[in-house]
Amino acid sequence: MFSLFLENFRISISSVLANKMRSLLTALGVVIGILAVTLMGTLISGLDKSFEKSMEFLGKDVIYIRKYEWFGDKEWWEMRNRPNIKIKHADVIRDRSQYAEYVAPISEWYTSVKRGDDDINGVRITGTTDTYAMISTAEIEKGRFFSKTENRSGSRVAIIGKDIADNLFENENALGKKFQIGNYTFRVIGELEKQGKFLGMFSLDKQIIIPIGTHRRLFTRRGWSGINVKVDGTQLDNATEELTALMRQLRHVRPTEDDNFALNRQDPFKEQYSMIKLAIGGTGFFITVLSLVVGGIGIANIMFVSVKERTREIGTRKALGATPKMILMQFLMESITICLFGGLFGLALAWGGSLIINQYFPSEMPINLALTALGLSMLVGVISGLAPSYKAAKLDPIDALRYE
Amino acid sequence: MNILLMEAGKNRMSLISLKDIYKIYNVGGEEVRALDGVNLTIKENEYLAIMGPSGSGKSTLMNMIGCLDTPTTGLYEFEGEMVNDMNDNQLASIRNRKIGFVFQTFNLLPKATAQHNVEIPLIYGNVRRDLRKSMAAAALESVGLGDRMHHKPNELSGGQRQRVAIARALVNNPSIILADEPTGNLDSKSGEEIMDIFDALYKAGNTIILVTHEDSIAKHAHRTIRLLDGKIKDDISIAA
Repeated sequence: MFSLFLENFRISISSVLANKMRSLLTALGVVIGILAVTLMGTLISGLDKSFEKSMEFLGKDVIYIRKYEWFGDKEWWEMRNRPNIKIKHADVIRDRSQYAEYVAPISEWYTSVKRGDDDINGVRITGTTDTYAMISTAEIEKGRFFSKTENRSGSRVAIIGKDIADNLFENENALGKKFQIGNYTFRVIGELEKQGKFLGMFSLDKQIIIPIGTHRRLFTRRGWSGINVKVDGTQLDNATEELTALMRQLRHVRPTEDDNFALNRQDPFKEQYSMIKLAIGGTGFFITVLSLVVGGIGIANIMFVSVKERTREIGTRKALGATPKMILMQFLMESITICLFGGLFGLALAWGGSLIINQYFPSEMPINLALTALGLSMLVGVISGLAPSYKAAKLDPIDALRYE
Repeated sequence: MNILLMEAGKNRMSLISLKDIYKIYNVGGEEVRALDGVNLTIKENEYLAIMGPSGSGKSTLMNMIGCLDTPTTGLYEFEGEMVNDMNDNQLASIRNRKIGFVFQTFNLLPKATAQHNVEIPLIYGNVRRDLRKSMAAAALESVGLGDRMHHKPNELSGGQRQRVAIARALVNNPSIILADEPTGNLDSKSGEEIMDIFDALYKAGNTIILVTHEDSIAKHAHRTIRLLDGKIKDDISIAA
């Protein structure tokens, strides 16, 4: 039986190669279907990685006390009139909260930095205390974080992100070198490791960290502030509750009033993300199913044509001793081969596409998905080839031999 | 002489026996008797020609003998096997094992080489690849095409194509070779060459059945059956 299988395979290949254009057009639906499912998988795998990395940046055990909520149904203009978060509350929280492990006040503003002729616009300047190093997940790659003393004295020292290091200090050691933030000269004391983009949107490496005292002196009335609190990861809900109460008290919120601040955490990101993932997955699935169904119909159609064209061949084969089952297998194999070619072609395109996706966020084509996709295309071949093959198998050899 | 052509020296026993064969079609409510009570016995190593005008039932009888068709009623025995109540799979099997077909239009696979074309019956007969290759090569040698094994049909002349078809018919060492107008698509010279091959095959002990409307072809046979309106009109044997 194996030689028959080989013979059928040989027939299929030569038939597909003899009608290259026709086979390609026929398999187009399968190509698109496989392309869609594989690209979707690649995209999701890339998103997963990027998302995990971004979530790592936020930290699962950090509560961000902010004026604005990251998620929720409040409009931004409803929150606009809330009083700003006061930096000094950070000290109160550290002293009075039993869940807070580390507390760092944050003050941020975007401005341009320059060194000689090189300048960069829109750099995130974060002012904070030395405690920030205990909360942030970003490691110092070279040099050090600033000390408590440097913080208190308002030294003009800076820890720079990778983008800044690459652009202002290309091919040289930045440590100890001077550069300007706005009009003020700062000295580099540390360099952060590369962190990539946050959810593929903005670079986390276009950042400079300076002591908060310095920050407030230079960018007094601009920017926004907040407090980052690292808590015990298992006590997140208790900590949120306690901090809410504490903040309400500190900000004199009456019991009848809503909170006029937000305690942000990474969890809602996850909820949002799984919804996005579902949307991408759903769309991909829909496109895949649709194109496989349309493609399958096309293949069934062309197989009917192929059976018609080769009626005499079928008659001859039957006269020479082919059983109906052997003929069935021959045409089924041909239909599967077309689909397999289509599937492989789709995979090749998807591989190219995944390289492009990889430019935006690191991703790879999931092997399992690729194999499943190939299996799926073969299944389409079986289903769409069944009716034409059955027709071929049932042909009367006499009529088939006489067919002109 | 090639080993494939050796069947000579056996006793002439009954190979095919058709008893009261009727084949009745219903065309537009009208009953058409394509075969109307045919009785026929063919012995081993006969050289038989079936003749008759179109519509005489000649093709139907050929299809019946070739196990491509089964009778409406009647008994058909082929070397002890009852063909008349076989299903499609059994018919395919007996065609594969016992019948070598030669068609007027050659019916070769255009994309396959001569050797591969000859291998087809062996593939369906589930013969091992190496054995298959050598059997196909031997069959092609025996029809004088040993040097054309790797040519495709479109690289061969009409006569050569028909010789490939004969090799394909021979390769399974069948009980009968059934040729339907084997020279119909050939010029007279190639036709003569083909008939020479059939003559040689007959001399080597094969049973050959020709279906033809040409007297010059039928003359090669030693027994001629004439059909008319689904009945055997006459059955004439001449001494070999």
